[in-house]
This record gives sequence, C-alpha cells and structure tokens, in this order.
Amino acid sequence: MVRAVPTPLRILAVVFVILTGLILLAPLVVVVGVSVSENQFIAFPPQGFSFKWYEKVLASPEYLSAAATSLQIALLVTLSATVIGGAAAIALHRRQLPFSDVLATFFLSPLVLPTIIYAIGMLMFWSAAFGPVSPITLWIGHTVIALPYVVRTTLAVLAESDPFLEEAARTMGAGRLQRLLFVVVPQCVPGLAAGAFFAFNISFDEAVLSLFLRKPGLTTLPVQIYGQLEFSPDPSVAAVSSIMIALTIVLIVIIDRMLGLSRFAST
Amino acid sequence: MANVRLLDIKKSFAFVQVLHGISLEIASGEFVSLLGASGCGKTTLLRIVAGLESVTSGGVEIDGRSVTTEPPEKRDIAMMFQSYALLPHLSVYENVRFPLRMRRIGSREEQDAKVKAALETVQLGHLADRRPRQLSGGQQQRVALARAIVSRPKVLLLDEPLSNLDARLREDMQVELIEIHKRLGLTTLFVTHDQEEALSLSDRIVLLNGGRVEQEGAPADIYARPETGFASNFIGSANLVPAEISDGPGGPLARLADGQEIPLAAEEKARGKVTLALRQEDISLVDASEAGALKAGLRTRVFLGARNRYVLSLAGTTIRALTANDVMLDDGGAVGLAIPADRIRVLQD
Repeated sequence: MVRAVPTPLRILAVVFVILTGLILLAPLVVVVGVSVSENQFIAFPPQGFSFKWYEKVLASPEYLSAAATSLQIALLVTLSATVIGGAAAIALHRRQLPFSDVLATFFLSPLVLPTIIYAIGMLMFWSAAFGPVSPITLWIGHTVIALPYVVRTTLAVLAESDPFLEEAARTMGAGRLQRLLFVVVPQCVPGLAAGAFFAFNISFDEAVLSLFLRKPGLTTLPVQIYGQLEFSPDPSVAAVSSIMIALTIVLIVIIDRMLGLSRFAST
Repeated sequence: MANVRLLDIKKSFAFVQVLHGISLEIASGEFVSLLGASGCGKTTLLRIVAGLESVTSGGVEIDGRSVTTEPPEKRDIAMMFQSYALLPHLSVYENVRFPLRMRRIGSREEQDAKVKAALETVQLGHLADRRPRQLSGGQQQRVALARAIVSRPKVLLLDEPLSNLDARLREDMQVELIEIHKRLGLTTLFVTHDQEEALSLSDRIVLLNGGRVEQEGAPADIYARPETGFASNFIGSANLVPAEISDGPGGPLARLADGQEIPLAAEEKARGKVTLALRQEDISLVDASEAGALKAGLRTRVFLGARNRYVLSLAGTTIRALTANDVMLDDGGAVGLAIPADRIRVLQD
C-alpha cells in the first residue's frame, strides 16, 4: 500500500527538482551560449552566431600549449595516482598495517584540506627544499589531490568483494605475488578505472595549485583561461570551456558504458 | 591420496581456547566428517589442516610428512568454501584451471584435458565460458567442486559446501559427492553441522563439542551407540530423560521422576542415577489405557508431510516423538507411550 503524498508537498518536490536541475545546468548553458556569440565581449544572451571564437582558440599558441601541458600532467597524474592510490587501498583494506584507520583518514585528508593552504605549503616547501618549481612539482601536487578519489573508489570495490577469495587462492597454490596479480588486482579494476577517471579530471581541472606553481612554460589550461579572463576577456574563454565540457561528457559516457560509474556516486 | 594425522592440536584465539588437544588419523581415501554445532571448532580444525590457521601447539602430517609450519600454497590440498569463493573476473573454465596454473601442473594441453574432465564430472561442460555470476547457486557450487578435484589433491577439504543450497539440490549434491568420492577416492575432510549429511556421506564421523572430540565412529555405530547425552542428542536428536535404575522382579527397571517405571533390557548393567536416551522414531503412541504404556501429556502435533511430530510431556521433561502421518491425535489430552526395551539407550551420569 503506497501512502499518498499530499499534493502541495508533491508540487514542492517537483519545483525543487526543477530548480536543482536549473542551477546545475544554467552556468553550462551560459558558457556554451557565450562561446558561439559574435560579440567581442562576454555577454549573455549571445548576439549572432559564429564559431570564430573556436577558430581563435584552435589557432592560439597559448591555448594549445597550455592544453598540451595540462594533458601531459593529467596523464602522468592519472598513472601515479592510480598506482599509488590502488596500492594504498589494497593495503588499507587488508587492515594488517598498524593504525589502519588513522592511515585511511590520512589518505583521504586532501579532500578536506583547503587546496589553497596545501598550495601555499607546497610552494614554500618546494622552494626551500628543491629550488624553482618544475612540472614535477605540479605532477606531485596534483597526485596528492587526486589520490583520495582512487583510494575511495578502490576501497569501495574491495569492500564488496568476497573476503575468502585470497584464502581460496592460497589453497589453490597461489603465492603472494600470484595472488596480487591474479586475484586482488583484477578485482580492483572497476575501482581503479573509476579512480583513474576522477584523477584525470581533477588534474585537468585543477586551478588553485596550478596558479601558485605557474611560471612561463608551466601554464595549464585552467590557468590560461584565468589569465585570459583577467587581462583580455573575450568569448574565447567560453569556447575553451565548452570544449572541456564536451570532452568531459564524452569521457563520462565511455567510462559509464564500460564500468557503470553510477555505483560510485553513492560511496 | 594420502593419509592425514593430527597430533594433539590446540588452538587459542586471544584468550579463548577453541581446540583442546585434538588427535585424529584419517586413512588414505577415507571420507571423514567433522560434525558439531557452530562454535565447536570444526571449521578452525579444517582451516588448520589447510594451513589457513596456525596451531597454538600440536602438529599436522600429510602423507607422513609434517606440514605444520607450511603455508597453504605449499600443501597439496584443495578446499571448497562455504561461499564457493569463485574468482568473479574469470570464466568457469579459467576458475577450474586456476589451481593447475598456480601449481604449474602439466602442459597447456594436459591442463585443458583435466579441466574438461573435471567439468564433465560435475556435468557443467556446456557452461565453461560463463562467468560465475551468470550461474545459479547450485551451478556455482559444482564449479567450486570441479575446481577442488581438478588437481587431484592429496587431501580434499570441504567447509559446509552444501549449506547454501535448497533442500532438493542438497540431496542431489550429496549423491554426487558420494559418487565422486567413490570414483576418485580422495582423502576427504568434510565439515558440517547437519547430522544427516554427516551420516549419509561419511566413512567416519568425528563429533566435536566445545573443542574436544566427543565421539568418533562409523555412521551406523555412532548412530546406534552414542556414548554421551550430547552425542545422542546431536546425532538422532534423541530425547534425554533422567531416571534411576533399580533391580525389579523381571530385570532392571528405570524409574522416572514421576514414579513411572520402564522395563529395560535384561543385560543392562547400569544402576543408580542415569539418563535415558530415547529416539524420536522409537517412541510409538498408544492408547493411554493400554497395559504397560507410559503416561504422557500431549502438547502439540506438528504435521511434517511424511510424518507427524508430537511434542509430549513425560515426567516433567519435554520429549518429541515421530510417528507415521496417519496417527492423528488431538492436543491437550493424555496419551500412552510404548518404547521397545532394546531401543532404550542408558547413559551413565
């Protein structure tokens, strides 16, 4: 027996859902709208229709080199965060380490630590210890920020797995390395892939740390967009953003088709 | 095939001792059941034989060689888990091949032949390419069995493998296990809490209680001659009724708490305070007025289909009796009980 929800409450719920959707989507609509404007200035609603800002972006050496930098760093971060985060998750899941719970919290701490504080610390630490910042600084910094996502997605997959699989593998003659390769890692694959997806996106997206560590030759796409907006704002910024939105959507669809991303949404 | 010897095995977890010195020999090719209630230590004992659990003291020998300190992957064993523990990312075929691959047994072609033969043994040859999650519980269970026998281990360890199946499937699998054991003759150690399963499958039953061996013997022996109250209650779900035996005019007489007397077999030696073990199926219900009938109160009848179970009150003790399904009596009345003297088992207190 379904209990009837009072009509006013239903209307309220519908309004709430619609508003939520609007608030989530409106900024994207504005960005895409502005990107096809003929106007020299960032203004909404757009006037006219043209792809000239896209042409400008694709012909701009600044944008292209920033995109290349971002892509390289994001790929490196994806690799390092997935390997380190996956290994950490496996170790934490087994609970054989002393202070497993404390360690788990520690690995998730970049999620709650304000990035700006971490960025200041990283800049000061790096300068004091190693001198001028380099792409390696950014790589390490982004890896730290992306790590919690890989740890969480992998732990989520491991928590669902049969705890007796490794013991079963032992009774079938699998040694430590064989169990890791043939039993543990294959189980982690969905979590690792989802984590890798998040890591790539976070690095590609990250502005705060990149801003602090920027220098000529080390400008990521978000930093480039920010600089453009600050000094010579025009709709090319919106065009870049629209391209990034499109790429993200494509990536989400691919990953979701392969793994079912939705199951990580709740964890 | 190999024999297994357990030498005075003791095991403690933190401050709780779960095994209090268990010694056991399993002959080559024998099918032995470890039977007991949950928490009796049977699974711990099995895991010690597998090497998944260390011993606090004592030793394990397989084929005359001590393996006490060897890890499971070095022991020539196979174990079937209650959850089946199939590898979800591998096909049925690759799951069954896994032990051969890990232990590097035979060439690729030989492995292929062995895997196919094992899958045929459990009648799953047609599902070799499926993933475990695409199979029913019964099919998964057969895959786990195929995987356990494919490498012809020296010892086969089964941890309550049938407990997750429904009743009908469980019966089928029991038959299959018996036939596979006959065919392959693997030394098998089988853990169960189900007395019927233990009785129907084993060459020998080892009944565990509180981390000690309560009694061991062939199924027919242990069923017919339980030595303790626990054994008679656990195997055969016998009723335990306190009594006192004295010599009567025609032989020994057992006097119940309410003064009723039951004649015992003439050769019964026990005297004084005892416990009578009365099997449910040995008690027949008769008219209360019949000569020599014990008087009991009828509390409840439970219809079981093929049989009726009556819950009765005899001399202040609740007892159960199984009858044919055409014996239909009403609740709340008095009823007579007849128990053949040679069916009464006397346990000295």
